Amino acid sequence: MKPLFPIAVITFKEGIRNRAIYGISIIALLMLVVNFLISQMIMREVGKVAVDIALSTVSFSGLLLVFFVGINLMAKDLDRKTIYMVLARPISRAQYMVGKFLGMVGLIVVSNVILGGFAAASLFMLSRMYATYFQRFSWPMVVLALAFIMLMLILLSALSFLFASFTSTSFIALVLTIVTYLIGNSINDVKALVEAPQAVGITPSPVTVKVVQIAYYLFPNLSFFDIKSQAAHGLALSSAYVCWTVIYGLVYTCLVIAIACLVFSRREFP
Amino acid sequence: MIVRRLFPIVIIILLLPAYLFSLSMTSTQRKMLPLGGEVSYVLPSPLLKITALEFDGLASDFMFLKALTFYGGTLERKERPRVQEVEWRWMYDVLNAATDLDPYFYDPYYFANSNFTWEAHMVKEANTLLAKGNRYREWDWTIPFYMGFNEFYFLHDNAKASEYLMQGSKRPDADPILATLAVRMAYRGNRTEIAIVFLQETLKKTKDKNTRRELGMRLEVLQGVLALERAVETYKSKFAKLPHDLNELVAKGLLARIPDDPYCGEFYLDEDGSVKTTSDLYTTRKK
Repeated sequence: MKPLFPIAVITFKEGIRNRAIYGISIIALLMLVVNFLISQMIMREVGKVAVDIALSTVSFSGLLLVFFVGINLMAKDLDRKTIYMVLARPISRAQYMVGKFLGMVGLIVVSNVILGGFAAASLFMLSRMYATYFQRFSWPMVVLALAFIMLMLILLSALSFLFASFTSTSFIALVLTIVTYLIGNSINDVKALVEAPQAVGITPSPVTVKVVQIAYYLFPNLSFFDIKSQAAHGLALSSAYVCWTVIYGLVYTCLVIAIACLVFSRREFP
Repeated sequence: MIVRRLFPIVIIILLLPAYLFSLSMTSTQRKMLPLGGEVSYVLPSPLLKITALEFDGLASDFMFLKALTFYGGTLERKERPRVQEVEWRWMYDVLNAATDLDPYFYDPYYFANSNFTWEAHMVKEANTLLAKGNRYREWDWTIPFYMGFNEFYFLHDNAKASEYLMQGSKRPDADPILATLAVRMAYRGNRTEIAIVFLQETLKKTKDKNTRRELGMRLEVLQGVLALERAVETYKSKFAKLPHDLNELVAKGLLARIPDDPYCGEFYLDEDGSVKTTSDLYTTRKK
């Protein structure tokens, strides 16, 4: 277990030094400024819209981080062949993989805390400005939603490591990760749609229904982690739901990383 | 040497006006494309929900803002009726989709209630939308309040109105006036009077200057109608018949003068004895 820590630290530092992080932070800050502009256009539920924008901003910038920084952390080592230097040391490939992943998790946690801090600051100022329209606003729900976004990003990042473990270029890993994200977020709605197609008047073929049902088990159900609207409206969430979602996220992440280690240790390098 | 160095600069100087010219030409041509206006097809909500990914709430906010800015744009139009029927339908579809994406979002309901009823004469649609909000926002007394008012004032269904108001009066922080109104409605239809009470309540909660002015004008008209209706009532009980026109009320000394309509219309007596105004509260559509 010893070599995990240095790899994680190096990965974290490498991620922090990446210039893409500045770009992502600028986008996030701009969107949080936009929050003030849009909130002025809303007649009644300013609080709801402000929370929507703040949480979506954090989620979106986190996605950019996973797509454009996270994938490179793993794939760059392979692209530039620096991995030979690491693997020549007495560490196993699985240790290398897990170490890298832990570094990425650290990066996600830190950036999420920073972005969440900015989001909370904008929400705090808006709630002072429009106190009457923030009646159903609850800080615990906003924090919980931020934590769920973090879990979702960690899961997605684990998948990106899995894709990077068997693809030859980082671009293919990026495309696969994006596609998984799209499927993972819509699979719940799509499944509901093909199982009750009367709503929009379509008749999916039995094959489609089967494919969707298989995909439902194969791909992560990312909409579990989306509690933005509950947070925006201050709706109650059962503690059982919170527990099971956290367990689901952790189990799926560990499973994916285990598979990634397996694939990676069997991979042949040119 | 100098020529070679100046060459790119000259090219750039020549290209800049060409760029600006082509930009303006293309944008004018673009405007002439037969693309259909802003009012177009709205995707069915299940598909919208899928394409919005995890940003359902945000998508709902933007759908609402789309309808809002479109409506705001129509305020500058000169023609009457200001908003076409198709456009009202489109706005309704957009708001319906916005509330499918996030059924808890209050603003679309609020917007629909204030505009689809008085202006668009789409009261049934407004109430269908509000019913959705009523199902989800079970802590909110204002939605059943609006529904009850619409049932009563526009659809003349006192029983249903009273039912909604009762439902609203049981919700947290409900205005005590709801219960009173519900009871009054269950007895008889004092339409104008109740409408005035409703508008006064709404006015108390409204901060926006333009909305306040609009509501104030509406209130003034209804107060005029109420004064006239009362005078007609007195006339009827005195002479056991309807007056020929409203001027007769002034002639018989029942009324000092006929009140002004702030919408620049004129009050008149309908055949069934009810008081109406030619402005019809902004709209020109014939009832």
